[in-house]
Amino acid sequence: MLEHDVLIIGAGLAGMRAAIAAKANGANTAIISKVHPVRSHSNAAQGGINAALTDRGDNWEDHAYDTIKGSDFLGDQDAIEVMCRAAGRSLIDMEHMGVTFNRDEEGHLGTRAFGGQRRARTFFVGDFTGQALLHVMFEQLIKSGIQSYEEWFVTSLVQEEGRVCGVVALEIRTGQLHAIRAKTVIFCTGGLGRVFEPSTNALIVTGDGMALAYHAGARLMDMEMVQYHPTTLAGSGVLISEAARGEGAYLLDKNGERFMKKYAPNMMELASRDVVSRSEQTEINAGNGVNGCVYLDCRHLGEKLIKEKLSQIREIGIDLAGADMVKEPIPIRPGMHYMMGGIKTDVNGLTNLPGVYAAGECACVSVHGGNRLGANSLLDTIVFGERSGSHAAAAAGELKFVDFSAAAAVQREEQRIQAMLNRPQNGDRVASVRLGMGESMNRNLAVFRQKTGMEETVQELQELKARFAKVPVENKGKVFNTDLVFALELGFMLDCAETIAVSALERKDSRGAQFRTDYPKRDDENWLKHIAVTKGEVGPEISHLPVTITKWTPEERKY
Amino acid sequence: MDLTVRVKRFNPEAEPRQPYWQDFPISIDENATVLDTLIHIREMVDGTLSLRCSCRSAICGSCAMRINGHAGLACKTKASDAMDKDGMIKVEPAGNMPVVKDLVVNLDLFWRKIVQVEPFLKPQGPEPEAEYVVPNEAMMHLSGVTACIMCGACVSDCTVLEVDPNFLGPAALAKAYRFTADPRDGDGEGVSRERLRKLSDYGGMWDCTRCGECVQACPKGVAPMDRIMALREQAIKAGFDNNNGARHTEAFTESVGHSGSLNELQLPVKTVGITNIPALLGFLPVGLRALTHGKLPPLVHKNIANVEFVRKLHHKLEEHQPEK
Amino acid sequence: MKYAFYPGCVSRGGCPELYPAAKLICQRLGIELEEMPAAACCGAGVMQEKNQLFGDTLNARTMAMAEKKGLGLMTICSTCQGVMAQANHRMKSDSAYLEKINSNLAEEGLHYSGGVQPKHLLWILIEDYGLDKLMPLVTKPLRGLRLAPFYGCYIVRPTEALGIEEHPERQTSLETLIAALGATVIDFEGKTRCCGFPILTINEKNSMAMVGKHTSEAKDLGADAMVTPCPLCHLNLDGYQPKAASQAHRPIGLPILHLPQIIGLAMGISPKELGLQRHIVNTKPLLVKLGAGG
Repeated sequence: MLEHDVLIIGAGLAGMRAAIAAKANGANTAIISKVHPVRSHSNAAQGGINAALTDRGDNWEDHAYDTIKGSDFLGDQDAIEVMCRAAGRSLIDMEHMGVTFNRDEEGHLGTRAFGGQRRARTFFVGDFTGQALLHVMFEQLIKSGIQSYEEWFVTSLVQEEGRVCGVVALEIRTGQLHAIRAKTVIFCTGGLGRVFEPSTNALIVTGDGMALAYHAGARLMDMEMVQYHPTTLAGSGVLISEAARGEGAYLLDKNGERFMKKYAPNMMELASRDVVSRSEQTEINAGNGVNGCVYLDCRHLGEKLIKEKLSQIREIGIDLAGADMVKEPIPIRPGMHYMMGGIKTDVNGLTNLPGVYAAGECACVSVHGGNRLGANSLLDTIVFGERSGSHAAAAAGELKFVDFSAAAAVQREEQRIQAMLNRPQNGDRVASVRLGMGESMNRNLAVFRQKTGMEETVQELQELKARFAKVPVENKGKVFNTDLVFALELGFMLDCAETIAVSALERKDSRGAQFRTDYPKRDDENWLKHIAVTKGEVGPEISHLPVTITKWTPEERKY
Repeated sequence: MDLTVRVKRFNPEAEPRQPYWQDFPISIDENATVLDTLIHIREMVDGTLSLRCSCRSAICGSCAMRINGHAGLACKTKASDAMDKDGMIKVEPAGNMPVVKDLVVNLDLFWRKIVQVEPFLKPQGPEPEAEYVVPNEAMMHLSGVTACIMCGACVSDCTVLEVDPNFLGPAALAKAYRFTADPRDGDGEGVSRERLRKLSDYGGMWDCTRCGECVQACPKGVAPMDRIMALREQAIKAGFDNNNGARHTEAFTESVGHSGSLNELQLPVKTVGITNIPALLGFLPVGLRALTHGKLPPLVHKNIANVEFVRKLHHKLEEHQPEK
Repeated sequence: MKYAFYPGCVSRGGCPELYPAAKLICQRLGIELEEMPAAACCGAGVMQEKNQLFGDTLNARTMAMAEKKGLGLMTICSTCQGVMAQANHRMKSDSAYLEKINSNLAEEGLHYSGGVQPKHLLWILIEDYGLDKLMPLVTKPLRGLRLAPFYGCYIVRPTEALGIEEHPERQTSLETLIAALGATVIDFEGKTRCCGFPILTINEKNSMAMVGKHTSEAKDLGADAMVTPCPLCHLNLDGYQPKAASQAHRPIGLPILHLPQIIGLAMGISPKELGLQRHIVNTKPLLVKLGAGG
């Protein structure tokens, strides 16, 4: 049987960083991903990566404070400290690996301004920073010679002797199932964006890891905290980077007014994302938008700057909306973008399950709390990817493989999948169930939320789950059966959706990304705490966890 | 709008075990991309259709395929632009790679070639404490190459790979250039000599025919062929000029720089090397055939008028070439 | 109708039949040509791989000469056409670059403003001359002849430099002309691919494989001959066809015609005047089929 000391599920930035760290710490390491590593969604991070570099007068405390304030004081301050202290070194490491960061006139790393931060500390490669980082990390993965199972989709975990001791994965190209034994497992599976429709997220972002861990008994935390990005393109809902506003772009209503002066007179367009998205939605709801959108205006930045620093989003505007931002404002609206919540871990990536780690968007350390600052997500993946890789390698040194039967594990999964393939045609479609879920979530768990709406979604999710249990899979073949993969993913997404809805219903205040019209104020007395979900006998079980506060006392947020 | 997507299907598990075309008449939004049409078919019409796709915004590189005979990203191509006058779009898998199923191709060889160019930074000497201090222009230039998303569109349409699978191909060579042009990479005074030496071998930079297919196919403006040409310039400068490709370029430039036009009789001789008797004999049959058909270039090569100006330009510009 | 004429090196070198054929048909068509004896080689993309600036400077020099005459520039070679268009594109999108180049041309008393559009005879006939004007001169339509078009890379790619977005008809110009002359177009996949000439002396095996692939594809589809606006393609597809056939272990025997030759034949000019006896692949069977004699 295939076996590895450390098995990393997901080959985005966090996963590859974890793999490289685990290998460097002497572990027999492998990485497994349902897509080739460079197809991962880390690609989509456009604007940059934050770090406070001391040699240019910045310091980690300022970065930490901005992050904590951005999180609406829900982030755990010990974890934020770890991230912000490590940022400088992590950034320089990436530069040494070969990232082609933009430079200033002296040839040093250049910065751009980003939302919710009092100084420019976002380092970048044009407007495709995530892609630049991801490809360089892939280069390092090649260099390290780490075993990589590409286009292998983990469909279930193997649990014996009280711990997770391996996985069963579908080799998509052949349809064959494989069991892989592992001493430790690190989830780096990314977010769950496709639970919402529309979303800026890639089609592969389906919450697989969160759902798998949840089923194995892991605790999910902050699941109500779903970030709506302020600038997603009309129509397709594709992301238009915050880099545009970082470089000075305006948000305009239908009369050409910069409406952010009403909501964030100091930071204007560069207030934190939750604040900007809420302001936009308020304007749109008040009839000051056009076709459900407001405008992002870059014209005054000039053609040269746009071509040099915002070339990708300019292309996206031209390709997908037929609008050239050099010449005209482009229509944008808030759109689901990022999951602050995820698998609860400590600062070393360890979950509540022995030997199980998580890092990146699928994890919740929690460094983002109620709202993530732009350009902190790439940082999160690098810092906690590395930490979880190192710690998992060390832990694996103390563990023995659990001797489970590969044949039995594979057979169980084969039977489950065969049962799905055997379902009779009933006129229903995986895509219809998914669309039902996505639209319900986007209707009731978006920028503004309230009790009856969320209850409606909880109810709808039950009905959708019942449909899912019977939905037929049209493709019965073995080779590259994407139809089957989508069906399996939908199961994961429905579980994730439920945890989001129940967590949001539980939190009876407005904080960060969650704004409840029925509880419009932040209530630190009762709700300055995390909401956690575990899988119970009949459904999600809710508990509360304290927020770690070290030296920054919660205060009212103003931008 | 109404259109028909004609998809080249292939399923190794079912009859016919040969590729075949299937038409899908659909109705879709005016702004839809070709990818949107395929997703619509897969989700609402025929779940057995297999393709790779993910980001929908030309950054993940999954959905490269041939659209109306030429490689591109389905997510970056508007259906309304791709449709012919009868509302038809022809979609088939990327070329030069084995088909796994429908629009999914096997990229194993593609990735092996990327690995072959040792695609990671190899700096000379110890790393600095902080970042490398390098000009922004150099990084901006490299970013034009690192914009490559490894979609394989260039490889799909490469005319050399069509006849010789050993060619490294446009993607791997552009990736190699990303390092040879990086001021941080190098094993001799900032020059990546070992890389350039290996890339000068058979299957490397000199095997490109400059047909431009990769430039046309690349959805990210990487222009792989231009990077291959830049590799050639670097290699010649670094002294790796003992091969037919480099000699060809040198002799060509020399001929034009001296006479203003190309000396077609001398060029092949200088390319293979004046002492390379077997290769020179190899030209004989073709040369004789040309001679008997009155097809040989003039035996006496004449200078163009005002040739002195060309010579001056040659002298000036050959000695003041821009550095990398 | 008058153009500054840029025949390129090969039409007077390796394909000596092309230059007189082109001049002859232009004369019959009433297209006046003014030669530029001081124009240098375009570099064929070869020189550009070592020193782009030198290549672009020579092409700017040629275009400046045409500009000085106040004439449009006619090419008869896909490669010249593409290389000059690419140089033009670079100079037009970077004024500092053009200025730098002009500083080097000053000594010769030349200055290039960027206003010349080099145009291949193929495009000129369709866009400037007009097929309606050509048709009355087609006294011997090529009826029954099955001709496969072969463009040559440089006249089809990259489309941006060649103005193909503004002139989409250029993508099918060769088929249009073949059909206008009364012949049947044999469409085939290889028509816009590479003939292999640029790597002939570098990787002959690959070069021959390309020749073999395209010529046999057209032959197998029933083509009587192939037509190309590129003398470099002609050198390889015609001159090296016997070698390619032996590498491919099959007979091919597909005559390769220059663009002006088919126009000339359709205008009733004798095959000999058009230099058809100078081809490596025997053109006689083709001429017999056409009834034009040997």
